[in-house]
Amino acid sequence: MTVLAIAADLWRHAFARKWFLVLGAAVTLFLVFVALSLRLEVVDGALAGMRLFGQSTTLEITAVDVALRPIFKATAIILYYPFTLFLIALCAEFAPSLLQAGRIEHMLSLPVRRFELVLGTYLGVVGLSALFSLYGAGGLCLILGVKTGVLTLRPVLAALLGTTAFATVYSGMLAAAVLARSATSSAGVGMALYFAGVLAGYRTSLAPMMSEGISRRVFEAATAVLPRISTLGNVASDIAGGRAVSAAHVGGLCAGFLAFAAAVLAVTMWGFERKDY
Amino acid sequence: MSLAIAVRDVEKRYRTWRNRAGLCALDGVTLEVPRGVAFGLLGPNGAGKTTFIKVLLTIVRPERGLLHVLDGDPEDPRIRARVGYLPERLELPAHFTPMTFLASVSRLKRVPPLRDGLFRLLDRVGLASDANRKIGGFSKGQKQRLGLAAALVGTPDLLVLDEPTDGVDPMGRVEIRNLLGAELARGCTVFLNSHLLAETERVCSRIGIIAAGRLVRQGSLEELCRAEGRWRVRFAEGADAARLADIGFRTAGEEFLFAGDDLLALNRALDRARAAGAVIAEVRPDEKDLEQVMSEALTPAPAPLTDPEARP
Repeated sequence: MTVLAIAADLWRHAFARKWFLVLGAAVTLFLVFVALSLRLEVVDGALAGMRLFGQSTTLEITAVDVALRPIFKATAIILYYPFTLFLIALCAEFAPSLLQAGRIEHMLSLPVRRFELVLGTYLGVVGLSALFSLYGAGGLCLILGVKTGVLTLRPVLAALLGTTAFATVYSGMLAAAVLARSATSSAGVGMALYFAGVLAGYRTSLAPMMSEGISRRVFEAATAVLPRISTLGNVASDIAGGRAVSAAHVGGLCAGFLAFAAAVLAVTMWGFERKDY
Repeated sequence: MSLAIAVRDVEKRYRTWRNRAGLCALDGVTLEVPRGVAFGLLGPNGAGKTTFIKVLLTIVRPERGLLHVLDGDPEDPRIRARVGYLPERLELPAHFTPMTFLASVSRLKRVPPLRDGLFRLLDRVGLASDANRKIGGFSKGQKQRLGLAAALVGTPDLLVLDEPTDGVDPMGRVEIRNLLGAELARGCTVFLNSHLLAETERVCSRIGIIAAGRLVRQGSLEELCRAEGRWRVRFAEGADAARLADIGFRTAGEEFLFAGDDLLALNRALDRARAAGAVIAEVRPDEKDLEQVMSEALTPAPAPLTDPEARP
């Protein structure tokens, strides 16, 4: 209950800030733009024509679900990569502002356990990321579904994978915030973890490019524990693009991401329990 | 006697990577605060006052020592729900309005955030007209008042206030003093940490003085301010100071001091003064003000004199 109250407060804090309002407005504008300006002509389950702002676009007659695949794939990639980076920058300030001198003392004097504070902040931020991702992806699916009669949840699944990646990165950001109480450090750790995770996804193909010896072993050891951001990104775009993906592979990847996040959160809570403010 | 705060032998050191031994902030502090009283903790900067408060509320973890707040463990959220705290430099969420902030504190204290109740709290601290303004535009004094309102959420049994009138205008100070008086009358215990001695003297009935992490004085205001065996006498204009000095009255500004515990001796001296033509305007026990008490408590005792010849 307390954890949810803390998460809800974080949402109130977020929706009172202009950047989140801008983000919400941007996603809404994009959806309105798609809904009002795009006309799709569907004949017997095939996309026969497309009009954008009244201008017809020539295209070969294709099955609707096949024609929509590149759009969904592009949406998944946008949500997974640039949107996640944007969220890292946007959410870096939450934990440090909660931990700032004069505020954390007040929070800790309330009947709130320290782990609840960490967990509430974490869930609040991850929930916020899920909300925007699902709003964007879900809205697009709904609009295109209404226009074409083909309703698919694949982009929504891809958006959830994007949220999983962000949740993992944010665990590291929260740890940095607890350690250093700085938004810059938190964002820095988030970016570093994100790009290192992208590299980790290609570790098996990158490692042979390094000369054999200590440097390769250090690279392999360092990337072994990192979440494979790019691997999950590829899976997300494959799912959105309609390619068959093994459920066991996706499940295993997500489990690895969540295990990483849980381990980092556990260490963060342990450190936070021992910290004086 | 029921105690609101019972602290025994608490020690706290701030350790860093460089200084493993650490800086001693509290050195074996033992303190008891009965329920329903106002207790003032005084001391110079860096004496350990704020650390003591933070230890009480488990914001800072002590090295050793026993802590009981409202007959329970301060780690217990049920105990903390009965404590209201105003930190020294309160930072408030700038995007919130006072109502949303108090509602948030209410939810975390597991008190239903009823609009009327929260509005009454804002009214008590003089912020009713600013209930729906963003906190970011508040002055320091207004933030302090809002912090006090937050401390009062849930009708706490113990109020811990660290410099509550910092940045508050003189009229606001009077209002806060009245508010604390009302809380005391309700049976609430007030633990006050303030640099303003006059304010502490007006609000608190018990005082503790802390210096270099040690509690050097503790007791009721009366006990601490009483100067043993001394009387302050004011004579009407025209009294002969030289004759009064012969009788035993020492001048202290416009008044006179008479040393001695014996009431009969005092009366005899007063009779002789009257016989000498002096007119008595006022006689009262000589009491020190808090500034004097603090100054005496913080002045190190002179080193014992040693005989250089006695050294080996």
